[in-house]
Amino acid sequence: MTALSYDDLVAAATVGVGRRPELVTGLAGPAAAHADVLSRDDPAASVLDAAALLTVARRAGWPPGPGVSCPEPAAADDAPELPPRAAVLLGRAREVDAGLLADLLAAAGAAGYRAPAPLLPVLLDAASRDRGLRPAVAGVLGHRGRWLAAYRADWQRVVAGPARPDPADGPEVWQTGRRAERIGYLAALRGTDPAAARDLLRSGWASETGDDRAGLLPVLASGLSAADEEFLEMALDDRKAAVRAAALRLLARLPGSAWSGRATARAWPLLRLEGAAPDQMLVASLPSGPDPAAARDGLAGGPPPPGISAAAWQLTQVIALVPLGQWADRFGLAPVGIVALPVSGELASHVHAGWRLAAVRQARADWAAALLASGTRHPQTLRAGNRPLAAWPADEQLVAVLPPAARAARVAALLSRSAVTPAALAELAACPGPWPVSLAEVVVSMLRTVVAAAPGSPAAQSSWAGTRWASELAAVAARNLPAAGEFDYAAALNRLAEAGSCPPPWPVVLHRMAGTIALRRAFLEEIR
Amino acid sequence: MLALAPDAASQRAAAGLARPACWSDAGTAGDLVWGLCAGSGKQPYQTVVDVGGPAYRCSCPSRKFPCKHALALLLTWAGGAVPEQGEAAGYATAWQASRHARATARNGTGGQPKDAAAAARRAEQRSQRVAVGLAELEVWLGDQIRAGLTVARAAGYGHAEAIAARMVDAQAPGVASALRRLSVIPMSGDGWPGRLLAEYGLLHLLARAHRQLAALPPPLAAVVRSRVGYTTSREDVLATPPVTDRWQVLAVRDVLDGQIPARRVWLRGQHTGRFALLLSFAPVGNFSGLEAALIPGLELHADLHFYPGQPELRAVVGTRHASPAAAGRPAGAGDLAGLLSSWSAGMAQDPWLTEWPALVTGVPVPGEPGWQLADHAGLAVPLLGQESRWPLLAVSGGQPVCLAGEWTPPGLIPLTVWHDDQAVRL
Repeated sequence: MTALSYDDLVAAATVGVGRRPELVTGLAGPAAAHADVLSRDDPAASVLDAAALLTVARRAGWPPGPGVSCPEPAAADDAPELPPRAAVLLGRAREVDAGLLADLLAAAGAAGYRAPAPLLPVLLDAASRDRGLRPAVAGVLGHRGRWLAAYRADWQRVVAGPARPDPADGPEVWQTGRRAERIGYLAALRGTDPAAARDLLRSGWASETGDDRAGLLPVLASGLSAADEEFLEMALDDRKAAVRAAALRLLARLPGSAWSGRATARAWPLLRLEGAAPDQMLVASLPSGPDPAAARDGLAGGPPPPGISAAAWQLTQVIALVPLGQWADRFGLAPVGIVALPVSGELASHVHAGWRLAAVRQARADWAAALLASGTRHPQTLRAGNRPLAAWPADEQLVAVLPPAARAARVAALLSRSAVTPAALAELAACPGPWPVSLAEVVVSMLRTVVAAAPGSPAAQSSWAGTRWASELAAVAARNLPAAGEFDYAAALNRLAEAGSCPPPWPVVLHRMAGTIALRRAFLEEIR
Repeated sequence: MLALAPDAASQRAAAGLARPACWSDAGTAGDLVWGLCAGSGKQPYQTVVDVGGPAYRCSCPSRKFPCKHALALLLTWAGGAVPEQGEAAGYATAWQASRHARATARNGTGGQPKDAAAAARRAEQRSQRVAVGLAELEVWLGDQIRAGLTVARAAGYGHAEAIAARMVDAQAPGVASALRRLSVIPMSGDGWPGRLLAEYGLLHLLARAHRQLAALPPPLAAVVRSRVGYTTSREDVLATPPVTDRWQVLAVRDVLDGQIPARRVWLRGQHTGRFALLLSFAPVGNFSGLEAALIPGLELHADLHFYPGQPELRAVVGTRHASPAAAGRPAGAGDLAGLLSSWSAGMAQDPWLTEWPALVTGVPVPGEPGWQLADHAGLAVPLLGQESRWPLLAVSGGQPVCLAGEWTPPGLIPLTVWHDDQAVRL
C-alpha cells in the first residue's frame, strides 16, 4: 500500500474497513517516519493508529495560511475616548433605560468625547434595534465607530442617520462612497460653497437612484437660497414621492418663490379679511372644485378624512401650504391677532386646522404658541373622543415646535394649575431635559404633596399614588431633573424618601430616582 | 469590588443596600467587617466578611455567594462608612474561630491515619477496572472503523453514550467525557467524518498508551493517567516545589458544554515568562473563591504549584503574597510563528492537547468564509468566536493589538484584548 493521506484514511473509515480489510502501512508527510508503529495484524487498529499519527502531525504542524490583505485601518480620532469611570456609568445607565443612555451619550458627544472602542459593538447593536438611540450613538462613534459600522449592514442603519460631514473624505467619496458618506460629503461642500454643492448634485441627478435622490436632496436645507429654486421646481416633478416631498419642504422655506406665489394665489380668495378694527373678521369660502394643478404643489389627492367634506378638506390644505409669514404680511397682524379673529360660515375649525398643519410642518414657534393659546377645538376632535385626527394636529405636536423654555413654562403652568392629567404628564414627558429650575421645582413640590398625603386621604385618592402614573412620572423626572446645578435633587429625593411619613411604594421609587440622578451627576462630572 | 458579585442582579441589589442607613451595629476590626441588615425575616441578617480572604458569611437564605448583603457590607466598608471597633461582634468572632479550626484541621495530619494496605488494594482494583474498560474501548473503536463512520451518523446523537457510560463504570471519567464530546460530531456539518476519525484515533492512542503505561517515561505516563481520568489530589500538588512570581491574569474562559461548568484561568508569570492554567469547576453554576476573583487586568503575587505531567500548565495557587492587584498590558506578546512553534512543542509532549495559551500581537481581519488574525510577518490563522470578534475589531481599528486567548486545532479563540493598558474581556 502506498503512502496514505488523511483524506484517504477518512474515505476508507467512512465506508468501513470491514468489507475491504487492508492494513495501512505507509503514511504521507512527517508522520511517515513513524509508520513502523502501525498495527500489523488488525486493519481497523492500523487505521486508528494512522489516524492518531496523522492528526497529531497535522495539528502540531499547523500550516499558517498565506498572508491576507489587512483592512484599511480606521483614521485616527482627535476626540478623546470617555474616561473609564464614565464608561462604567454608561454601562449602568444601559441597564436602567435606553432613554437615559441616550441622554448621557448626547452629553458626552456635546462635550467632545467619543465612545470607548470596546463599547462600540454594544452601542451599535443597541442603536440598530432602537431608533431613538441612533442620533446619540451616531454622535459618539468617531472615525473608529464609523469604520467599524461599515462591516455590518445592521450597523449601517446607525451611521446613515443625519448627515455627518467627515473632513477626512476626499472628492472620490462622492463617486464611490456609500450613501451616508456621500450625504456627508455633500453637506460639507454645501457648508463652504452652497452653489457648488447644488451644481454637483444637479450634474449627476438623472443617474442617481430614487433612494439616493431622496437622501441627498434634503442636504440643500442648509444654505438654502433663491438660486436653488429652479432645481427644486424640477424636483417637484420627480418620479419618487419622497423626493417631491423633500422639494416641497424646501420650497416652502423659500420666501418669494414661484411656488409660494402659487400657494398664496390659491389661498387669498378663500380667506379674506373684512371690516375695520375692532370689528374685523375673516370671511372663508369653500373652493369651487378640484384643482388638479395643485397636486404638484403638494395638495394631497385622495379622499378627505372621515367626517370632513372634500371642499372643506381642500380649504384646509390650501391654507396649510401658505408660508405662515405671508398671512401676517397680508393682514398686517401678528399671529396672535390673526388666530383670534372670528371666522365666518362655520369654517373656523377648517381654517385653524390649516394653520395648525402649517405651524407643525413649517416649525413656526410663534404660530404654534398663538394657536395653543387660542384653544380652538375641532368639533370632530371632540366627537372622536379626543383622538387626534389626521386633519387636526394635536396640541402635543404644536408644543413640540415651541422652544424648550416656552415648553417648560407651559408645562409648569399646567401642572401647578390643577390635579395632574394624563395630557399634562404626556407633555411633561415630552419636555426636553434637563428641565429649568422653575419646572423642576414644580415637579418636586408635586412629589412632596403626593408623598405627604396620608394613605386613604382624599388628597391621596384624587392624586395618583400607587398608580401607573407614579412610575411614569418617576422615570421621566429621574431622566430630566437637573443633575448639574448647585441644588442636589438626588439628595432632596433621598430626604423625602426617608421622611417618616413616606408611604410605600414611594421610598423605593424615590430612592431609585435619586440613584438615577446621582448617576447622571457623576457622569457629567466625569466629562466636564 | 462589584466584580466579586456572582451576577449583575446581585451587583444592583448590593449597590442599593450599600448605604449606612441599611446597616446597624456595623463595625470593623482587623480583617473582619460585620453588620446587621434588616431583611424580609424577623431577625436582621448577620453578615460578616473577612477582607483578607475574601471570605463571607451571612445568615440570609440566599444561595448566591457572596450574597448581596456581604457585597453591600463590603461596598459600605470601602466607602469608609463602617466604624473601627475595638472588639468584633460575637457572631463575627465565632465564625472566624470556626474557620481557623477548619483550616487547621485541613493543614494538619487530620483524620485517621490511612490504612496504607487498603489504599494500595483500592488503587490496584481501579487500575484493573480501567485496563478492562480501555480494552473494551479498543474493541468498540475497531468496530466503528470496521462498520464505517456513517453508522455513527445513522445512530444520531448519543451514538457513543453506551460506551461512555461503560467508561464511567470503568472509572475512566476522562475517556467518558471525551466520548460524550465527540458524540455530537456526526451532526456538526461538513467534514464531520474527518473530525470524528481524529477523535477516534486519539482515543485509540490513549488506550494503546495506557496498555504500556509502565514502560512510558514518568512525565508522559502522568499525561496518560490524567487524560484517562486519574486525579491528583490538591494536597499532593501543593506539596510540590512552588514557583513564585507575579502571575498576570491573561484570560478567563468558561466552558459550559461539559456536564459541570468549568472555568479556565490563564496566567503568565512576569519574571519566569511561564504560562499556567487554573482549572475550576462549579457544580451549582457559580464560581466562587479565588478563581472567581481573578479577572484579566489583575495580577496575583503568589506561589503556584504545578500538576505532574507535561507540558506543565495546570497549577494550583499556594501561598499568596499579596491580594490581586491591577496590572497593565502584559509583556511577551509574540507573533504567530512563535505561538505555533510553542504549540508544536506542547503537542510533542502531550498529543491530546486541545487548547494552548496564546499571547500574540496581530490584526483581526474580517472575511469570508471566516475571520483571520494576521501578524506583522504576514502569517494568518483562523479567528474563532462569533460575538467576541466584534469588540476585538473595534479595539484594533485595523491596527495590531495585544491579544490573549486559546489556540485550538480549529483556530484561535480570542478572550482578552488590551486597549492601551486596559484589559478588555471579549
